[in-house]
Amino acid sequence: MHVLIVEDEASLAKELVHFLSQEHYKCDWAATGRDASEKIAVNLYDFILLDLGLPDYNGLTLLQEARQLDHEPAILILTARGSLEERIEGLDLGADDYLPKPFSLLELQARMQAVLRRKFKIKSSVLAFHGLELDHSTRRVTHQATEISLTKKEFDLLHYLLLHKNRILTRLQLTEHIWGNLLEDDYDSNYIDVHIKNLRKKLAAYITDEWLETVRGVGYRLTT
Amino acid sequence: MRLQSKLTLFSALSKIILFLLLVVLLPPLIHRVALHNTDQRLLEQKEQVLRMVEEQGIENFILEGDNSAYGSYNLLKEEFISMEKVAPGLEVDSIGNSLRKVEGEVVDYRVLSLTFQIADQTYLLEIGRSIATIRESIDILQQYALIFLVVVVVLTAFVDLAFTKILLRPLLLIIRRLQRIGHPSTFQPTKLASTTTDFVYLNDTINNMMGQVQAAFLKEKEFIGNVSHELLTPVSILQNRMENLLADPDTPEHLLIKLVDNQRTLHRLKSIIQALLLISRIENEQYLKNEEVEIKMLVGEVVEEIRDRAEAREVALEMDLSDDWTLVQANESLLFTMLFNVVNNAIKYNRPGGKVILTGRLAKKGYELCVTDTGVGIAAAQLPHIFSRFKRLHAPDGESHGLGLPIVQTIAQFHRIKLSVTSEPGEGTTFCFRFPNT
Repeated sequence: MHVLIVEDEASLAKELVHFLSQEHYKCDWAATGRDASEKIAVNLYDFILLDLGLPDYNGLTLLQEARQLDHEPAILILTARGSLEERIEGLDLGADDYLPKPFSLLELQARMQAVLRRKFKIKSSVLAFHGLELDHSTRRVTHQATEISLTKKEFDLLHYLLLHKNRILTRLQLTEHIWGNLLEDDYDSNYIDVHIKNLRKKLAAYITDEWLETVRGVGYRLTT
Repeated sequence: MRLQSKLTLFSALSKIILFLLLVVLLPPLIHRVALHNTDQRLLEQKEQVLRMVEEQGIENFILEGDNSAYGSYNLLKEEFISMEKVAPGLEVDSIGNSLRKVEGEVVDYRVLSLTFQIADQTYLLEIGRSIATIRESIDILQQYALIFLVVVVVLTAFVDLAFTKILLRPLLLIIRRLQRIGHPSTFQPTKLASTTTDFVYLNDTINNMMGQVQAAFLKEKEFIGNVSHELLTPVSILQNRMENLLADPDTPEHLLIKLVDNQRTLHRLKSIIQALLLISRIENEQYLKNEEVEIKMLVGEVVEEIRDRAEAREVALEMDLSDDWTLVQANESLLFTMLFNVVNNAIKYNRPGGKVILTGRLAKKGYELCVTDTGVGIAAAQLPHIFSRFKRLHAPDGESHGLGLPIVQTIAQFHRIKLSVTSEPGEGTTFCFRFPNT
């Protein structure tokens, strides 16, 4: 997977490159719109992460340029200028998704995977673990054709843990994913603990070994 | 009072004053005119009589001898002419009022008296015209003048009214346009088709002023956009850096816990910035109100989203919506946030085994949706301050930045929803939203 990161903030780009490289993406970075424009013309990117707030270039123009390419790279807009009009315009111009800054890297990865699945049918929507299968498109969890009934939140939580298996997810990261960008007064990690407890209870009948590790004071890790 | 009424009233008043002045001044004026006319006539008659005397000789009128005189009256005693000899040395040439007895009847006359001499003999000529006749003609004149005046005043008043109406139409247009402005950004400058330069000037001034206001709003919008970018970018960097550190296998475990604490603090900073941005964006009308929202649907969605939180807290969540209501021109996601925050608080500040009830009823002027909890309640002293920004109330977790309720209030105001709170410490709190009739 060849990814172009168009981002004028060097520090942020550095973290993105670091994270995506860990996840086995091949990354290029363009700090200016002009640089990005050249890179897009020369290389065949599968994915473009586009910051709209570029100092030298209108991000939407860049988006149109990328859209005219034959191999149709997936485009994800990353923006802190979260004006609604800009987002809608971006999606209208053919971006596959947008993620308002600040975002979690885990969220970014989940979104990228979703885009890839939709666009290229690369990934199957079924994830398997410990003899269970989670189908993202039908939102079902099954054990040998037996469906395990989960609430919406429980399903989302399990799916997220599974997407990032073998990695510690903090309660905050889980909360942000489950409750989206709903602006709240505060966040309450207890809700996550309650959901985890229920998940464990529901899956206990099907999974015998330890599948969800609690890392004290940090968070949870789904192990395979 | 409106300008048009004032102008009409003024012109009517000025006409009435003029009219009254005329009514007062007219009689003496007409009287004088009539007298003048009478005197002119008397003088003309005098000339005629003198010519006749000259042509025919005085003897034709006055016989020789004493006590001889000439007198002529018309039948109704309106006029008389008399000539008589008088003692020499008497010289009269005057016009004046005097009483004469004519056939046993005293009549008031306007009399021209003149002495003239023919052959050393002095004669006195008197020509009289009864004043009653003069008065009559004056009365008639006055009547006509009055009628004419009244008609003129009434007519011009109506003409004035119509004219000021036409004249002030551009002003009315300007006022209507100003009334239609909901928010400065909706204002469209238009040219005013009027020949009255003052109105054109007024309209241009308003256009100009609104242009400045719009520019200021645009600046504000840009500023908020820039600030959000400037503030959220470093937060973004920090957040991702911490995530990478958390995922780094080289990070020792005791630092992981510190990192999680950092993450929480950063999250707090982020949500404060986002809350402030949300409030200012709403206040700058950067959100559209172009959706129809059904209250029942909205409440259903909020309850669906938050039900498991209620379960986690062992709080029963009940809905009791007897009527439905559709909000036109609303923003669904903002309304969702508003209601979610209130219900979330009702759950958070509740006790295990408590209840949260959402009731919806058609009220007198619209619809009322209330969220009632059985929680800790809010002290009466704190009630007035719960919507102020950065007022920290009893957050059990100490993580609250106190912007939840200000957001609720801002969204409510944005939709012209009346928000009220009643609370009984230890018993619970009720938040009510009164949706206006459209």
